[in-house]
Amino acid sequence: MKKFLWGLGRYVLLLKKTFSRPEKFSIYYKQTMHEMVSLGFDSVGIVAIVSFFMGAVITLQTAYNTENPIYPAYLIGLGTRDSIILEFSSTITALLLAGKMGSNIASEIGSMRITEQIDAMEMMGVNSASYIILPKVVATFIFNPFLMLICVVVGITGGGVAGELSGVINLQDYIYGIQYAFIPYYITYSMIKTFFFAFIITTISSYQGYYVEGGSLEVGTASTKAVVYSSLVILLFNVILTQLLLS
Amino acid sequence: MIKVLNLTKSFNGTVVLNNISVEFEKGKTNLIIGQSGSGKTVLLKSIIGLHEIEAGEVWYDEILFGSLDFNGRKGLRQQMGVLFQGGALFDSLTVEQNVRFPLDMFTNKSLEEKTEHVNYCLKRVNILNSNKLFPSELSGGMRKRVAIARAIALNPKYLFCDEPNSGIDPKTSILIDALIKELTEEYSMTTIINTHDLNSVMEIGEKIIFIHEGNKCWEGNNKEVLKSDCKTLNDFIFANSLAKQLILK
Repeated sequence: MKKFLWGLGRYVLLLKKTFSRPEKFSIYYKQTMHEMVSLGFDSVGIVAIVSFFMGAVITLQTAYNTENPIYPAYLIGLGTRDSIILEFSSTITALLLAGKMGSNIASEIGSMRITEQIDAMEMMGVNSASYIILPKVVATFIFNPFLMLICVVVGITGGGVAGELSGVINLQDYIYGIQYAFIPYYITYSMIKTFFFAFIITTISSYQGYYVEGGSLEVGTASTKAVVYSSLVILLFNVILTQLLLS
Repeated sequence: MIKVLNLTKSFNGTVVLNNISVEFEKGKTNLIIGQSGSGKTVLLKSIIGLHEIEAGEVWYDEILFGSLDFNGRKGLRQQMGVLFQGGALFDSLTVEQNVRFPLDMFTNKSLEEKTEHVNYCLKRVNILNSNKLFPSELSGGMRKRVAIARAIALNPKYLFCDEPNSGIDPKTSILIDALIKELTEEYSMTTIINTHDLNSVMEIGEKIIFIHEGNKCWEGNNKEVLKSDCKTLNDFIFANSLAKQLILK
């Protein structure tokens, strides 16, 4: 418990250092653009592929579980849409990104720490936490909502393709289903969760990397911890935010 | 001038530096020597504030380092150049961008002016036609020289070098020593170098302190180091029997 509180305190102090006033906005702007490409744009492929197949599986599973003439076929589309918007596009994508972005961030910052690059920055009078971490937080804040929307579109498309090809639902019913009783607030809800999860992934992973001590083995451990802790905190906040936003 | 008074530092209850007092002079190459694990790097990092000290004082001319707040330290650090053991060049930046980094952060010069200054610094350390290379494409000696170029980019008043000769051949090592000495005189800097390289001790040791198990055991210069009656220093200097025979001859 003492160790947890000590770690939490250090995490809060790191955040304070991270969100202090940047030395030069032009440099931070360039860094943010660079991070948007390396963290955000480079994740589009994996998010799209996973979303497509998950959308397909959700459609097939919904179809096999509602194989009853009482239920209209369009419910399959509706079920797929709501599953993807409410949970998959935000939470499951966040867990996926915690693996990809989290390990990337922790190992990058951890390597900088053990090769004294962070010390070198500090010795120049640069706020290393702000220079390294802030652009990552801003970049994911801007880009992750796009990833969420990509996930929704590609996931629903994947469901439609799988439904049509397997014959469990025709495209007309599916399209009717995904339009039926649509609640726009679900997108807002998912978007809010995405912002929280983006913050969790970048800050926890950065924290793990920033305080690495030792060598490459410790960088590997930090990378693993970044993924595990980010995922656990995402799951915890998923429950809290769902209760707060949907109750 | 940098003055260290009664500096003590410990890790988890183990005293690593014990009551060290020393004055490092301006315009001279001041060497901290000692065996691996003697506390040299901890002393250097304590002086520059990368380690918080338990007791003692570090004075940069008239400024007491411990009395400075975050912004005060930030300001003072812009007057420091540090050469880390591995160079600590930023992997994602080219040679030119590495040297330009402190200029980008702390000056309002135009890109042309900055590039001109970067080229001057690189020329000063004899790195030519390598502006667009990344650190991974450089040899050990080149990395050290680029790191020196970056350290002097803001014309610092204080230069700190942690093992500048580690991992490089003796010839390059001598060139780097000579370069540091030249720059120290040219910029009139207070330079502190951590080393256990005997060549450096003999070539550029204008002031030398010997650290053994966290204690300052000896203080002098390169002319006095061979005549010392400090046993631990002699054990360190004459560790190599061939060197011992040659020096005694």
